[in-house]
Amino acid sequence: MKPTRREFLQSVAGAGLILAIDARAFSATDRTADFAPNAYIQINADNIVHLWVTRTEMGQGVRTTLPMMLADELEVDWSQIRLEQAATVSRFKGIRLRTSGSGSTVGTYNALRKAGATARVMLVAAAAERWGVEPATCRAQAGTVTHLPSGRTFTYGSLAEAAARRSVPENPLLKDPRDFRYIGKPMKRTDGPAIMSGNAKYGLDTRVPGMLFAVVKRCPYLGGRVASFDRTKAMAVRGVRYVVPIKTGLATGVAAVADHTWAAMKGADALVVTWDPGPNRYFDSDQFLQEMENGLNESGYFVRGDGDAEKALASAAQKIDAVYEFPFQAHAPLEVMNCVADVRSGSCEIWVPTQTPTTAQEDVAKQLGLPQESVKVNVTLTGGGFGRRLFVDYVPEAVEISRAIGKPIQVVWTRSDDMRFGFFQPPSIVRIAGGFDQDGKPLVWSQRSVGCDLSMFGSPTEQDLADSLHYFKDGSPWGAFDNPYNFANLKADFVRRNSPVPTGPWRAVEYPAQVFARESFIDEMAHAAGRDPLVLRLELLQPGDILKVGDAKIDRGRLIAALTLVAKKGNWHGPPRSIPGRDWGRGLACNIYSDDCFIAQVAEVSVEKGTGDIRVHRIVCALDCGRVINPLGLEGQTESGITWGLTAALHGRIDFKNGAAVQENFVDYQVLRLNEAPVIETHIIPSDLPPGGFGETAVPPVAPAIANAIFAATGKRMRRLPITPKKLIT
Amino acid sequence: MAKYTLQVNGRARQVDAEPDMPLLWVLRDLLHLTGTKYGCGMGVCGACTVHQDGRAVRSCQITVSSAAGKKYTTIEGLSASGDHRCQRAWIEEDVSQCGYCQAGMVMTAALLLVDKPHPTEADIDAAMSEHICRCGTYQRIRKAIHRAATEGKRS
Repeated sequence: MKPTRREFLQSVAGAGLILAIDARAFSATDRTADFAPNAYIQINADNIVHLWVTRTEMGQGVRTTLPMMLADELEVDWSQIRLEQAATVSRFKGIRLRTSGSGSTVGTYNALRKAGATARVMLVAAAAERWGVEPATCRAQAGTVTHLPSGRTFTYGSLAEAAARRSVPENPLLKDPRDFRYIGKPMKRTDGPAIMSGNAKYGLDTRVPGMLFAVVKRCPYLGGRVASFDRTKAMAVRGVRYVVPIKTGLATGVAAVADHTWAAMKGADALVVTWDPGPNRYFDSDQFLQEMENGLNESGYFVRGDGDAEKALASAAQKIDAVYEFPFQAHAPLEVMNCVADVRSGSCEIWVPTQTPTTAQEDVAKQLGLPQESVKVNVTLTGGGFGRRLFVDYVPEAVEISRAIGKPIQVVWTRSDDMRFGFFQPPSIVRIAGGFDQDGKPLVWSQRSVGCDLSMFGSPTEQDLADSLHYFKDGSPWGAFDNPYNFANLKADFVRRNSPVPTGPWRAVEYPAQVFARESFIDEMAHAAGRDPLVLRLELLQPGDILKVGDAKIDRGRLIAALTLVAKKGNWHGPPRSIPGRDWGRGLACNIYSDDCFIAQVAEVSVEKGTGDIRVHRIVCALDCGRVINPLGLEGQTESGITWGLTAALHGRIDFKNGAAVQENFVDYQVLRLNEAPVIETHIIPSDLPPGGFGETAVPPVAPAIANAIFAATGKRMRRLPITPKKLIT
Repeated sequence: MAKYTLQVNGRARQVDAEPDMPLLWVLRDLLHLTGTKYGCGMGVCGACTVHQDGRAVRSCQITVSSAAGKKYTTIEGLSASGDHRCQRAWIEEDVSQCGYCQAGMVMTAALLLVDKPHPTEADIDAAMSEHICRCGTYQRIRKAIHRAATEGKRS
């Protein structure tokens, strides 16, 4: 039986992401000569192929890799392609537009290939029918169908109308990977030229006729609100048109709405507001970190339990333990949060750089009491996401202001807003104890992680918390739960400590803190036992099997391969470098991201004697993330993730004093700059296995590789991030 | 409010603005040249870099009153069709990730190559470390500058 279109679309979506879509509804032009076999593709009579990108471009390259997958199976030339960004319109009804968890490649690979192949088969069938020949004698290539025996050709455009009338094939044959034309080849970013000419439009570049600009004076206290305000001084600023108190969003306050951004900023500054600081007036992050550390003395939720760690520790011939700290971190993407809202009677249109347009649409529909389809969310280019733009708190505030004044407005966050009011990476305290037997063999690993729940996922319910296996079932914390090392006695548990600070996923989510602790401690164990840290890791990953924990399948063999390659390329066993006046060392760390990406890094670091000045010279990275769609993009993401990890290792920290964030700009929240950036070498292990997501994978091993290198160089063990020269010389 | 005449990308542009309005917002909100980006508002991230009489400056730190009479070039005016050797080298090296900071980067790099046609690593460090790229494209920025340098002078 042939599948219905609904079934077909459901099947290509894998997880039932796509519901019924009538092909005719796709046509942007309503011209019958267009061919749109599914939500992703439209071929017009002029032979232009429109491909819809259903993920948000944040620099990870989806507007290049997703079309590569489609175009390869569709057999079109790169020059024929026009990219369209999916908005929350009927064409994508039933498709949840969301970009997260390094999932864009993983989540679309099969669906997009099948979507492309379906269209190709229909085009070939249409050509074959016109010629009265067997489809098998025809070949599709570069947007043209050729009848091989006669050499006759039709362009896709000339076949579009006929193809549109054909039934959808059940199981179009996908290409043999050996025939891939784009997949696996280095492809440059499709948006490169637009970005370089200054014409690429980010959220902040949205301009709608009649639009005003809004800047909000926000309550500095976590969870505080406006007690009263006086608009007089703000209204006196030239260009300010309205003053609007807002109640929605993450950080409430009073908005100044003006003809341009500068007047809105000045207006917001001039506003006189009395704050009700609310219940967190005295929140202090140093105190909170101390409370977290006290949590190490509590028993926690079960995460892992093999053998008998307590007994093994008691009987160990040699024992060590250590505590690691990871502070609050900000996302600080270079484009601040912003949103344009145009609220009309009975409808609303939004332009926003967000990772979750469908969530925005749902939220706005609820806020305005409109049916969901009356809200259109357009996704712009995004000046960095890193998890911050999974939240859409800036959308309802734009809607609230636009509704209040009856005009389209752009709400613009200042950099200070961005630093102080985010969904921060929560801090983490981890203690690990390890022991060896009389022969120096590793015997036991016992880990306690104290951490926060992410606001993103909603707090666990009382019922969840009554279940001692709640975090285990959740596979959390990542990096502790999926510890790949083979200890006969292994224990991990989790103690909750929550603060009033909103928290959310930050690049690599829970891995950075847990992997910092785990990979540092493995290094400590190696040094305590007089073993080489690489050799000890390889030994602890034997027998190279696939470890099953809960739902996770942890392939130790692939991690061994990454470690082996990085040791070779990073010259792990080579002689140390000598730099006058500096101590030099190599450090190693590795991780498995979400079962499907395997990564190992060797960092070369030197520290100046006396000043503690830290220089990261080189990071060599080996990785296996299954089939690579775009090696150029993968290399870029490796460099990107490593740079992100270096910021966390060497600079990143947000503090809260008296209920408010302390850091406000790139002056007091430093991020890595070019003069600190090391040489990064990426070595990719070829694989035919399904592609894994790579947007976050390179982050977690960086901090421990640096800390381990610093130990090798100086003998000083850095267990609390960020690692600073001051900590090194005191 | 006062009227100011600025030379932007080879054209005289008249704007009505308060004297303290930063050039950044004049460009973006009054002249609709949105290629120049807001990143920090205090001259530490480099996203708003433009050329002022042949020098790289932070447009968020320049008031419109002090800008009057000076010549400015923004990313939109760096070349007629986006083909300045730095723009081409940036595309060739696939530098951009999110791309938000890159207009500022290119504006600084273009003048670096005027001052130092064959910059050393230290020259690149000195010129480019006043900029922030949160995506971490620094390695490719280095490569792109070297590529543009070896292409020699054009535009």
